[in-house]
Formats: sequence, C-alpha cells, structure tokens
Amino acid sequence: MLKLTSNNIYKNFGGLEVLKDVSFSVEGPELIGLIGPNGAGKTTLTNILDGALKPSSGTVYMNGERIDTRPPYGVARAGLGRTFQVTRAFRRMTVLENLLIPAMAMRATARQRDFEEKANEVLEFLTIGHLRNEYARALSGGQQKLLELGRLLMLDPQMIILDEPFAGVHPRLMEVIYRYITETNAQGKAFIIISHDMDTIFTLSRRLLVLNYGDLIADGDPEIVREDPMVKAAYLGEDEE
Amino acid sequence: MNPTALYRVSGTVALIILFLIPLASSEMGGLGSLVLSSYFMHLAITAFFYAILASSWSLLAGYAGQFSFGHMAFMAIGGYTSGLIGKFIRFTTAPSELCTDVPLLGNWWLVILNIRRVGTIDESCLDMAKAETLPAGTLIVFPPVWASIAMGLVMGAVFGLLVGWLVLRLRSTYLALFTIGFSEILRAAISAEIPITEGQSGLELVPLFPGGIAGFTSTSKIPPYYAMLLLFIFAMALMTWLAGSRFGLFIRAIREDEEAAAALGVNIVRYKVLVFVITSTLAAAAGALQGHYIGIITPNTLIILQMSLVIAMAVIGGLENIYTASVGAIIITFLLELLRTSVSIGPIHIDMTLWRLVFFGILLMLTLRFQRNGLLFPILERISRGGVAAETVSIRAQSDEELDEELEELSEEDEELPEEASEPASGTDTSAS
Repeated sequence: MLKLTSNNIYKNFGGLEVLKDVSFSVEGPELIGLIGPNGAGKTTLTNILDGALKPSSGTVYMNGERIDTRPPYGVARAGLGRTFQVTRAFRRMTVLENLLIPAMAMRATARQRDFEEKANEVLEFLTIGHLRNEYARALSGGQQKLLELGRLLMLDPQMIILDEPFAGVHPRLMEVIYRYITETNAQGKAFIIISHDMDTIFTLSRRLLVLNYGDLIADGDPEIVREDPMVKAAYLGEDEE
Repeated sequence: MNPTALYRVSGTVALIILFLIPLASSEMGGLGSLVLSSYFMHLAITAFFYAILASSWSLLAGYAGQFSFGHMAFMAIGGYTSGLIGKFIRFTTAPSELCTDVPLLGNWWLVILNIRRVGTIDESCLDMAKAETLPAGTLIVFPPVWASIAMGLVMGAVFGLLVGWLVLRLRSTYLALFTIGFSEILRAAISAEIPITEGQSGLELVPLFPGGIAGFTSTSKIPPYYAMLLLFIFAMALMTWLAGSRFGLFIRAIREDEEAAAALGVNIVRYKVLVFVITSTLAAAAGALQGHYIGIITPNTLIILQMSLVIAMAVIGGLENIYTASVGAIIITFLLELLRTSVSIGPIHIDMTLWRLVFFGILLMLTLRFQRNGLLFPILERISRGGVAAETVSIRAQSDEELDEELEELSEEDEELPEEASEPASGTDTSAS
C-alpha cells in the first residue's frame, strides 16, 4: 500500500521562506485537497514532491524510499505523477503519441504498439477518442487538460497530484474530470488536488491540507477544517461562516 | 495508395535511381544521350555530404529542439582526426627509436611521428630512422583509410558526449551561443596550431581509395560517389529507425517540454546527451569521408557561413523531418551551382557568382516568414496526415450518432416511467465539448 511522508520540508528562495516545516503523510488511496491563498507555497510543495525542486531541508519518502534526492523522472518511476498549473501537452505531437510517452518511459523494452490499445481505452474514457491522431495543439484548453490526465493513466502511478484541474474548464469537461478523479481513486490511486474551486474541493476531498505563507496551518476532515478559525482568517474569510 | 506504401515505393525508386546514376557518368560512357559530367558527380557527392549534415542536424534541432551551431565543428573533428592520423601515425615492424614508438601485437609498432617546426627543414624522425636506426627490410605501413575514418567517428562521438553534457542545462539562445563559441574556439585552435594542422593552408588527406578500387583510379568520382551514398543511406536508415522508436518519441517530448517529459518518466539527461553523441558521430563520419574525397580540409569549413548553409538547407526543406531536410540539402546544393550562371537583362549584367547567396538568403527569409515548416515538410504532412481531419470528423459523427441513439432509448424509457422518476441521467455524455 502507498505510503508517502513529507518530513519537515523547508524551502527558501533567496531570503524568501516559501515552505516552513511542512510535514504530512499519505497512506493508501486518500483523496486530499490542498488549498491556500496565492503564494502559499502549494506549487512549490508539489514541485518538491515531484523532484523538480530540491528542498532546502527536510526529506520525502515514498514506500520507504527517499525520493527528494531523485530527479523528476526517478520520482515518476517511483510512482508519483502530476499535472501542471498551466497545461503542458506536447503540442506538436499527436494525442496518441502524448499518451504513449509515459507508458514507454516506464518500460524499457516495450514497443509503441504494446500500448496503443490501452491508450485508445484511456482516450475513450476521457471522451477524446476521436482526437487521437490530431496534434495536441489542435485541442481546446479543456481537452488538453484531459490529455494530461490521460497521460497519468498511462504512467499508472500510485499517487497523482493535480494542480488546478478545474481552472478554466467548461462544466461538461469538469464532469469528466470529476469522474476521472473519483473512478481512478476508487481503483486505488491516491490524489492530492490543488484547487481554488472551493465547492468542488470540499465535495471531492476526504481530507484537506491548508497552506498559508509556507505554513501548513490545517490538516484534517474538510468539514472540521472549514470551521478552523486560522483557515477562515487566512483563506476562507468571514463569508464562509 | 496509403502513405506508408507510397513512401516505400518512392524510397525504393529513389534508391534505384541513385545507384544507377554513375552508369550515366562520362567515366562509364553515359546512358544513351544522357552523359553526366565529372562535375555533376562531384556535385552529387557534395549533395550527399550536405544531406547527411542537414538531416543529422534536423534530428538534433528539429526533433530534439537542441539548436546547436556546432555541427560543422563535429564534421571538422571527423575530418581532422582522420587527416592527423594519416599525417602522424605509421605502423612499422621495428621500433624507430627516434619517434614515439608504441609496441603492438607481434613485431608491430605504432610510430607517432614528430611535429616539425614551421619554417624549418627538419627531417621527419621516421626519415632519419630509416637512415640510422631501422633495420633493412623494415616494413612501414600507412594506417588504412577506413581505420582513420573510424577514429574520426570515435572522436566525433567523444566530443559530442562532452558538448552534450556541458550544454545539458542550456536552452535556445544560450545553447546557440555556447556552440558557436565551441566552433570558433576549435577553428582558432586549428588555425593556430600550424605545426600540427597546417593552419589555414589546410591539412592534406590521402585519397579515399589510395590505390584505386575495382578498376577505378584514385581520382575517379565513382567509388567516392558510392562511398558517400552508402554513408548517406546508412545515416538515413539509422535515423529513421531512431525517429520511429522510443528514442524519437522521447526527444520530441523533450523538444516540446523538458519538465513535462521528465515528470512522465523520461530520462532527459540520457536522451539529450545521446542525441548529441549520435548526430555528432554522423557529422564526423561525413566530415572524414568528405575530407578524404576532397583531399584537404581547412579551418574555413568551420566558419559560421558554412554552418548557416546547413541550417538553411534543413530549414528550407523542413526542419522537423530528416527526409525533407536531406532532400532540401540535395536540391539546394545543385541549385546553388545552377545559380552560378550569370544573366543579362538588357544593359544590366548580374554576376550570379556573387549574387546567388543573396537570392539564397532571400529564399531562406521568405521560407521562415511564410513557411516555417519548410517548403517540403508541408507536402509530406499533406500526404501522411491528409486523412486525419476526415477521420476525426467521422469518428465524432459516429459517436454522436451513438449518443443520439442512447438519448432516444432513454427518452423512450422516460415516457414509460412516471414523471417524477424521469430525471435526465448524468455522466452518460460520451462526446467532448
């Protein structure tokens, strides 16, 4: 079973302390929301978990192996996948090729045709099967988000971090993304979802982490966190009462 | 005919024509009224040389997104390595005792000749050894040309590895500047080290086939034609295989977005270094072969204009495809020669030997402005991807039909149900927005 632990993470950029002593753990297929105001350190924490940034101090372990010293591809191979705040599809490659990359990267001797069937299934699940031979640049912003989610299914990690999956997405595509998260989570994958869409995040997540100026100020059941005075003061505001 | 079959047929026809061209050369008596001059054969060899450079640069810049200006430097490394081995290395059956002697297997010795000072008439150490120390009957053998060329390839790979590793964290402008710097340093070093490289005078290389081959003399154009053609075919076959494999998929992903590729498990360090090593080795192979064919290599092959020419060939043909880049190189090599013919329009005489590069530059600028994917690449795209839009529409229409049928079935069921139970089902939508 998945176990990810983040121990006393600090991150400084010059004199700016972006993360301060952030510790939490994820056990099993949890569905966690990560919220906080702009500049709280959410994306920095994500970048540290995925190996794109090294922490100034602190450690990250996944299933007993230290991953904060690994490069991003090593973290991905250890079982942690992510999407980015700004969609990063491989625009001059076809939708199908986009999906084949993580599958091929995970298996050294595999050939492309070994994964084409699975890729087509993933695309159908995400309702973009008809676009499989189009270049990714031809897709709408929302469809590119779906493509990113599809790549993660092909990577088949144990844990998925989604950075703003609902931002700027049409309600119909939001439904697809919502279904993606719940069904994939039910299949045993853990999620950390960063979002400013409070309604969705409170409905979707079963645990909430709240960051504020680098401090992890709350970690627990969304309904309890919602009533936390520090969270209200820092993020939710008095209107939420 | 489907695109794959079309490519196979046209590729086979092109290969047959390329193999038969020498039969029409003046050396072979021509084919009927078609007699290709020795000059044409020289142009064909040069065209293959540039085609290898442009296509390998296309793999590096067009596929992997590594905009290097050091490709001609790797070409020169291949040529100079092969030339220097021919100049300084000999094999003997006894130690010279006056040169640097390295024992090999059996009675054989590898002899490294001394570097003679400029402006002096110092004898070569081996010439002196022949008179003083070498026993009578000692065999002195030049290194085989193929071995010198192989060493050129090795040096190309080593420098490719070094540069690839050094530029790992550099992108776009910084990568371009670094590789220009590398190329210029190499050019300056070659120009300065006259005792070793002969400086601006150029380093002489033995002919590709010193004693001739298959009845052809060492100055015949036909053996070098086939040698360069075979290298071109090998390079294209290798790059085609690589481009269609995981290697091609990953380097294109790196071109598009390094961070995203890494987050999906792609070892970007390995593939970025590897693409430098492979393309540098191919450039070095072309350089070594061309050096032996021409018989001399000079530091001028490294000037930025030469690199620009290779880039222009790839860009005009189509940077993102090794075939369009190579065909672009072949067409432009011939076009630049055709443009040498001066023209007179009324009283105005245009000396095309001077103006051809201006026209070439204008063609490059127009291509970049109006056809950024090159002049040939869009044609290839139209052939291979012409059916994609229709396929997308057809699949979409099919799924819409299925959706309509599902909705119809649902509404029929709804009619049979009491009103309060007929809420529309959510999550059954199978079409994208």
